[in-house]
Amino acid sequence: MAGISECSVYIPLWRIKRDEIAKSVGLQSLGGERSVAFWDEDVITMGVEASRGIRRIEEVSALVFATTSSPFRVKQCASLTATALDLPSDVFTVDVTDSFRAGTSALSIACNMVDSGKFDSVLVVTSEKIPVKPATIYEQILGDGAVALLVERDGKAEVGLFKTHTKTQPGAWMRVGDESLNDFDMRVSARYGFAQSIQSSIMGLISESGINPAEISDVVISAPDPRSYYGVLKSAGIKGGELFFDSVGIVGTAHPFLMLADRLGSEGKILLGSYGDGSDAFLIDVKDKIKTNLKKMIESKKEIDYGEFLHVRGKVGEKSYPDKPSPVKYWRDEKSILRFYGMKCRKCGVVSYPISRCCVECGAKDDYEEVKLSERGEIYTYTIDNLISPGNYDADGIHPHVVAVVDFEGGGRAFMEVTDLYRAKEKIEIGMGVERTFRLLNEKNGFRYYYWKVRLPR
Amino acid sequence: MEVAIIGTGVTKFGHHWEKDQEDLLVEAVYSAINSAEIELKDVEAVWCGTFYPFSGVSGNNFSDPLKFFGKPISRVENYCATGMDNIRNAIYAVASGAFDIVISAGVEKLMDNGSRGIPFIEGIFPPYMPAVSAPGMFALSANRAFKEWGWTKEDLALVAVKNHYNGARHPKAHFRREITVEDVLNAPMIAYPLGLYDCSAVSDGASAVVLANPKTAREIVGDEYAVIKSIGMAVETIHPWSRPSETFLSFPATVKAAKMAYKQASIENPRKELDFGIVHDCFTITELINYQDMGLCKRGEGANLIRDGVTTIDGDFPINPDGGLKSFGHPIAASGVRMVCELAKQVLGKAEGLQVESAEAGFAHNLGGPYSVSAVCIVSRA
Repeated sequence: MAGISECSVYIPLWRIKRDEIAKSVGLQSLGGERSVAFWDEDVITMGVEASRGIRRIEEVSALVFATTSSPFRVKQCASLTATALDLPSDVFTVDVTDSFRAGTSALSIACNMVDSGKFDSVLVVTSEKIPVKPATIYEQILGDGAVALLVERDGKAEVGLFKTHTKTQPGAWMRVGDESLNDFDMRVSARYGFAQSIQSSIMGLISESGINPAEISDVVISAPDPRSYYGVLKSAGIKGGELFFDSVGIVGTAHPFLMLADRLGSEGKILLGSYGDGSDAFLIDVKDKIKTNLKKMIESKKEIDYGEFLHVRGKVGEKSYPDKPSPVKYWRDEKSILRFYGMKCRKCGVVSYPISRCCVECGAKDDYEEVKLSERGEIYTYTIDNLISPGNYDADGIHPHVVAVVDFEGGGRAFMEVTDLYRAKEKIEIGMGVERTFRLLNEKNGFRYYYWKVRLPR
Repeated sequence: MEVAIIGTGVTKFGHHWEKDQEDLLVEAVYSAINSAEIELKDVEAVWCGTFYPFSGVSGNNFSDPLKFFGKPISRVENYCATGMDNIRNAIYAVASGAFDIVISAGVEKLMDNGSRGIPFIEGIFPPYMPAVSAPGMFALSANRAFKEWGWTKEDLALVAVKNHYNGARHPKAHFRREITVEDVLNAPMIAYPLGLYDCSAVSDGASAVVLANPKTAREIVGDEYAVIKSIGMAVETIHPWSRPSETFLSFPATVKAAKMAYKQASIENPRKELDFGIVHDCFTITELINYQDMGLCKRGEGANLIRDGVTTIDGDFPINPDGGLKSFGHPIAASGVRMVCELAKQVLGKAEGLQVESAEAGFAHNLGGPYSVSAVCIVSRA
């Protein structure tokens, strides 16, 4: 039977206090703080970051990506993620989308794929950076982040019974071009959309399985907002899992798994429920504890104010760009750009980046092997450039561009943007250790260019 | 190989809002042919350098402004070393005996590009490489030199102060105001650790030299001419940041170009055998590293030369008596040609600004790109 054997969480570094949002826009504060993706992060980059925590990634033969906030209408998040993860080209990729239930739908699909015997190891990636209109309540409710799960035959946390319930109304929706979620009335959504749906799926699951509720050690259900969540727990008389509303916010499709990550550290039976156009419910039996990086991701954070939040969200500020880099070259050099391979010269032994027909040190022609550069390196030298802004945009006079010459462990040197620095306030020094992170380099030429950057270790 | 410089022409460098490239080029070229006492029709071939194209990406950059038709003209570009590479091409044509009199000119109109600094050109970097401004490229060296040798922002400031002192005394320089170390240290940051006064001027300007074989030169101007004794040039990588052996403490292109130029002129100790030099001080850090790469001192000792006053106008080995790019300005292709004009004037004792005392021979150094292109030439009295 299919089960989850690894779980990796990615929460962006940045947080904003809801009191700060409330103070700035005049709405009531919901308390706590929410996670905020940096300007160069989207569901793809965060999905890649979460997946990079999966140790046996090279065994994956399929990738199912769930999100409602892809930056593309036409272009698969799964294929780009698979490429950045350096998975082989025969890996099966698919995106599941359009409802916050898509995350558990992806898990259900993955389990069926494994149970079919056709796939041994399926990566489920759930990731959200839901656009929000400033000064709407969703600005406070939602958070950004991603969770990746490795689903395998006989995985440590057995995914057993599955029950689904479809209910298209009521609930939140977003039309193409909408800047934020819409709802008719959140109270109706909560009572009939969420509460009734979750009850249908979970009660269905319990009655079908014949399991004694006393045997269930944890109930993990995601919710559209904390009020609905605690309302359901109260009426059902159960103690639910940690919602992570105070520290992260509601992360759409990824949310059930963010909550699940918190429970995988101990053995026992878990009821997992999700919400969106109805509800999915699973019975998960954790037979062997699974370690996750959830705690580290929650604790590793930096605070931004509302002005900075609007900037990283692209709501204020100017990004101008005179140059038009070629998407053709970007496609041609995929191995160096997205998979981050350099070359090791067979003649002089030097590892260099990017791949080029002739060795940068000795000039040997066509005599090299392709090598993947390491995750970590050290700053050889750097500058904080005020004439260019992060992402190679024209300088805006406010956000300096921090670039560093990085020597990677095991060889290879590359010139890279140092990200997760807002206005370059942090001290950068020669010799500092840095780690690679997958990011949006820039958006030019009507295209989104993704590339690796480095950040100070989290 | 000796080629004579029989005429020089340099416009004032600075913001020429009311003139375009064509106007500046005409001014510099006529100034050069007038000083050589020849006519434009006597010129047999032309090399004209421009980094940013105008009047076509071709020899039309010279033919059309001057209405100089029917003769060979080549447009040369090689980053900020365009000017001296342009001269290099012209010299070989004269030395080969193909032509008796040629012109090498350079012109640039940076201000028309609406620039804060040198404007970017599409396609220089692959789409995925992080961009870096020109000051940023050289700041990589400064931070490394600070770490490696303990150089400081004050050391860099001394370079700017010296070059402004010299430039303030040159009528054609862009910036003609002396500055203090405090001015430099308090200036806005451009690319850490380089501040505003660590950066050369972004200027418009044009310059031209008339080159001839020595026999023709004597017929025209008698003994009053300077000769180019040698010229060296080397091209390295545009991605120094990808080359594991790059130290950022030396620009290999300069080391190699200098070696070539010294060897051709049979110079073993430039500090003793030459009287002064002009280096490509696009940034203050560049000047200090150039001291080392040009063989004026050992590695790591560049800052000592500026601290000890060796390179001031009254020092043991004056560098940039004209104010350098820092104060004179840096209209890209015009700079390398202007450096050679300045060398010729100095060795003839006719400097327009500060004259180096009993200057018989000196070098000029022109650097381009992320230190990927470098040219060095040596000029002496005939």
